[in-house]
Amino acid sequence: MSVTASALGRPTPVERSPGYWAGVVRRLRRDPVAMVALAIIVVLVLLAIFAPWVAPNDPYRSSMIRRLRPIGTPGFPLGTDELGRDMLSRLIFGARLSLLMGVTPVFVAFFVGSFIGITAGYLGGKVNTVLMRTIDVFFAFPSVLLAIALSGALGAGIFNGLLSLSIVFIPPIARIAESVTTAVRKIDYVEAARASGASAMTIIRVHVLGNVLGPIFVYATGLISVSLILASGLSFLGLGVKPPEPEWGLMLNTLRNAIYVQPWVAALPGVMIFITSISFNLLSDGLRSAMDIKA
Amino acid sequence: MTPAPLLEIAGLTRHFKLKGGLFGRSAGVVRAVDGISFEVDEGETLGIVGESGCGKSTTARLIVDLIAADSGTIRLGGRTLGVDLELRELRRQVQMVFQDSYASLNPRLTVEEAIAFGPTVNGVSVREATALAHELLVKVGLEPKRFAGRYPHELSGGQRQRVNIARALAFRPKVVILDEAVSALDKSVEAQVLNLLSDLKRELGLTYIFISHDLNVVRYMADRVMVMYLGEVAEIGPVESIYARPTHPYTQALLSAMPSMDPDQLTREAPLAGDPPNPINPPPGCRFHTRCRYATELCGKTTPSLFALAAPRHLAACHRAIPGSGHPDAPRRLETAA
Amino acid sequence: MSRPLVDVSGLTVRFHGERTVHAVNGVELALMPGETLSILGESGSGKSVTLKTLLRLLPEGRTDVGGRIAVDGRDVMALEGEALSAHRGGIASMIFQDPMLALDPVYTIGDQIAEAVVRHERVSRAAGLARALEMLTRVRIPSPERRLKAYPHELSGGMRQRAMIALALACRPKLLLADEPTTALDATVQIQILLLLKELQKESGMGMLFVTHDIGVAVEVSDRIAVMYAGEFVETGSVREIIGDPRHPYTKGLLAANLHGAVKGARLDAIPGAPPPLDTVPTSCSFAPRCPVRLATCETARPPVATLGPGRMARCVHSAVAA
Repeated sequence: MSVTASALGRPTPVERSPGYWAGVVRRLRRDPVAMVALAIIVVLVLLAIFAPWVAPNDPYRSSMIRRLRPIGTPGFPLGTDELGRDMLSRLIFGARLSLLMGVTPVFVAFFVGSFIGITAGYLGGKVNTVLMRTIDVFFAFPSVLLAIALSGALGAGIFNGLLSLSIVFIPPIARIAESVTTAVRKIDYVEAARASGASAMTIIRVHVLGNVLGPIFVYATGLISVSLILASGLSFLGLGVKPPEPEWGLMLNTLRNAIYVQPWVAALPGVMIFITSISFNLLSDGLRSAMDIKA
Repeated sequence: MTPAPLLEIAGLTRHFKLKGGLFGRSAGVVRAVDGISFEVDEGETLGIVGESGCGKSTTARLIVDLIAADSGTIRLGGRTLGVDLELRELRRQVQMVFQDSYASLNPRLTVEEAIAFGPTVNGVSVREATALAHELLVKVGLEPKRFAGRYPHELSGGQRQRVNIARALAFRPKVVILDEAVSALDKSVEAQVLNLLSDLKRELGLTYIFISHDLNVVRYMADRVMVMYLGEVAEIGPVESIYARPTHPYTQALLSAMPSMDPDQLTREAPLAGDPPNPINPPPGCRFHTRCRYATELCGKTTPSLFALAAPRHLAACHRAIPGSGHPDAPRRLETAA
Repeated sequence: MSRPLVDVSGLTVRFHGERTVHAVNGVELALMPGETLSILGESGSGKSVTLKTLLRLLPEGRTDVGGRIAVDGRDVMALEGEALSAHRGGIASMIFQDPMLALDPVYTIGDQIAEAVVRHERVSRAAGLARALEMLTRVRIPSPERRLKAYPHELSGGMRQRAMIALALACRPKLLLADEPTTALDATVQIQILLLLKELQKESGMGMLFVTHDIGVAVEVSDRIAVMYAGEFVETGSVREIIGDPRHPYTKGLLAANLHGAVKGARLDAIPGAPPPLDTVPTSCSFAPRCPVRLATCETARPPVATLGPGRMARCVHSAVAA
């Protein structure tokens, strides 16, 4: 005896509640800290996209006469670096690479890590053990060490840097994904779905994903700042971006010795890394609060 | 001739191994459900009562295979699971409503989506399934216009439980297992939901398995009652017979543990001491003998099987009731007519 | 003529935050020493909130408490610092539905009880442990010496409840507040705990305020019952009066919904609808929308409080007329 449909065949019109995500956006909008953080990130992204039009000077043009000018020099509002290049322009152009190196690995790791973690969490048993213990091997390495080792093995360059950072972030995301999925799997509504005869894929799609991706996403956005700093660190060590590309971490490296001559100018790339990291973190925190539904 | 029972459970068993120690060595076995057998007739309500660790919730999950049974047979309408009855078919015909109304509903799905999910999985179009969902909402007393587009957190506990009932009914099941379905509700809401359940049972010709720790509710709702203790059936019989003439000492203790409603007849002494024990490594022989005031040496050695008492369809697993068992309180074995 | 142990009058509690909740709307409560009063109500009635005001357990920043609250002659709302600490546990103590709310999982039972005694009575740790052993024995925990060294997670549910009671009574408070302590327990354990509480109360002469939603529990344990709905007492009286002669329609509805005398197969007399949201101060009878005998006046004016005898009242127009 199959499940029969209704005699009417037509649903009646209903009042709809605003969906879950609408509620999240609404709560986020009311959070001043998160909104400021979001504004800062938007400005940085816009600066990165429109760098050629916004930057006052050519970031690559060097001049040995104009080396290490201080902040406030006419024509070079934020001074010049050790090769006489305009700091402001380099910082603006640097946003491109730095944001790229910060966001992309996390983005990639989010998809790969979630896939691994959700599969392990839902299937449980031996599959879970094999997947998660493998992940744990990578997770046992401190992330900086792992990033350096992978970069060293792969060689310097932007693409290799992105690859090694992605690999670094897959284990923590997979762990979170597995843990959240395991928890959700035990909740009654998933059991009820299993009792309805739905296939595993359907259950994951309808019941698990919606409840699991949110927390994973929040965790991942918190990792962006780490990725940014790690990328800067790799560039600092000469393993990521190569000169003369403007990238904040690399700039910190090359300006190292200028700390005694023009400390404020030398610190500027660090300030940018700081502002960007903290904005992503605050936005991530705000997201987490907004997603906490118990209305 | 009485018709065959709708649901027949025989020898249902489920043990959980406890892992402990360095290499996950077995640290003991939880004998959650140990070879229980019972039947449910079409159109009746079987109540299952018992305290923590008795295995009633595990039994419910074993019946719909949310937990795999170690052994035992499940027969529905004369067909045996695994032989001529597919699991998918069983799951359609036997549905379950859980205790926690909030955890039973996906917070991301609207009410109508939650109810329509089951039918869509079984091949019904989304449109038709949604129409069915609206119909069922009316049946459970929730106006579709107001409720179908809402999310679980916007509803009260009683309303959520109605949604859960509608969700179970979307499969047009024959049997609905209510696992402490009203236990978490306020008393006034509970009464409303019980009325609804009675109405639905009558209207749709349902059969209920009603699991509860509240003996008053079970007395009101059930036709027959099964009392479980530590994974086994202690006593089973028609509800009035069980409540009027409880035979197993555990049933007697359960009934007398109910708080009194009469200020002139307050309880003087607790019928049992201590907590309900853990089903890990249960006592040998009769599992209740360690707390039973009538226990003798026999009770610790031999497990009594369910014995049919004088009252119709009333069985108890107690040596005191089995003639010739060797227990001092047992009736003398009737000599067969020469 | 002894002084009431608990004397509450005009109690109002309002929570601020995203929404305003008027949890308690004018409660009068008097409890004599040695007496047990049960506050009977469903979720959202305000019964737990009422209890918590007596120990100042409500979040101070978000809560407005009005009215007079006196325990053992002292104004609870005026207590600060040392006096408040002495009050909590020394004069009034509380037990909860979930013993893990009271018991710290990282300390042994013995340590926790001893610590409470040492802090309140300023005695040595040895004396504290001796009192801990004494209390565990009094609450009938099996093998009390062993349990002194046990951690909360090593005990079963019923034993944890007993340990929590031992902790609450360690400093011999005059008032015990019980917030649904047996709701989560199995029936055979529940009756043990209820009888234990009655016995302990008789031994010590303390007063007990018991919050529950279960009428049977209220009957077993209390001398008087106050029925609470939407933040106020709708009926009070002795147990016999409330059970035998309920006056308020809500009380009658609760008794009918109890299923104790329900006839099989007959429809239950369920109270329709749901309790009101508590976002405004009530201007009419809060129960009127669900009341089978409501009159026009019930929906426009606050119901009168009919005094039907000493300690007996009903907040209902019908009772006022009859009285």
